[in-house]
Amino acid sequence: MMAKELFPEAQEIRKGRIRIETQKDKVGEIIKKLKDNGYEHFVMLSCVDWIKEGKFELVYQMWSYQYKEHVMISIKINRDGESMLSMRHLFPQIETYEREIHEMFGVNFIGNPNLKEFILEGWPHMPPMRKDFDTEKFVKDFYYKIPEVKEE
Amino acid sequence: MNHENWSKLARIMSKRSLWMIHFCTGCGAMEMPPVMTSRYDMERFGMHAMATPRQADVFLVTGYLAVKTLKRVVQVYEQMRDPKYVIGFGSCTINGGMYWDSYNTIKDLSKYIPVDVYIAGCMPRPEAIMDSFLKLFDMIDKGEAIGWQKYHKYYDQYKRNQRMAFSYRLDEVKDIKEDDKE
Repeated sequence: MMAKELFPEAQEIRKGRIRIETQKDKVGEIIKKLKDNGYEHFVMLSCVDWIKEGKFELVYQMWSYQYKEHVMISIKINRDGESMLSMRHLFPQIETYEREIHEMFGVNFIGNPNLKEFILEGWPHMPPMRKDFDTEKFVKDFYYKIPEVKEE
Repeated sequence: MNHENWSKLARIMSKRSLWMIHFCTGCGAMEMPPVMTSRYDMERFGMHAMATPRQADVFLVTGYLAVKTLKRVVQVYEQMRDPKYVIGFGSCTINGGMYWDSYNTIKDLSKYIPVDVYIAGCMPRPEAIMDSFLKLFDMIDKGEAIGWQKYHKYYDQYKRNQRMAFSYRLDEVKDIKEDDKE
């Protein structure tokens, strides 16, 4: 069954591209239902920082080889420390995406045992992909403050 | 022959047999295959790629360095035996290049390890790389390529800068060891 028949509330952006906006406790069953109905490829999990709304948007993207259709499941969580349930029991590759989002945005995923550091090693500062992280100021305060080696 | 003449002779003999550590970072590594293979053929200078730092003399830092890569670069550099030479490759090693405002790349390589020759450009052409080799030979001949001596002399300053960039002490290498286990 196609996503439009499974979820009547889904909106079709254009042909082959479906967007489902939902709550965070329903994501698990939606992904499970899509997985059982031919949407067997989990493409990626991405995160968007909507700083004016004070929300993080998590987008779970899935693809069906049978229907040639791309489904995006979008949820919004609060920016200040709201955590999300891990979906790694449905697709194991979600674990790595969650690990990256945990590092770059600071979102906590409950049930993911592997939320250790991914690309940044020993990063003591704010997660760098947040909109309130001032990259230029950080670079000026950090890298340009390291003194040059003085030769006598 | 006294010691000074011996070291001069050793420099003249060794400059035509420099082995390059095969450690590629960033996009500069893309310019190395034409330099190493038949088109530009760096072996006619007696240069050759080597996989272990213990047997290498030249370190080409090819492009931008994330802080994570810098840790590995410092480890490799310290494993190389004296005399050793560093060529900074492209504008990223000089002042950060197009990554001047990146939160995760270092801006000036000479703050962390001594650099003998810099090549400007993004990317430098193979001709520029060959030119830097000739410049390095010339410097070795005259005894000007003394970056490795500077590293011994100003070791505390280099270590201080490295620790500032790593945000923790390099002595506590538990992070790197944990990575190796995986």
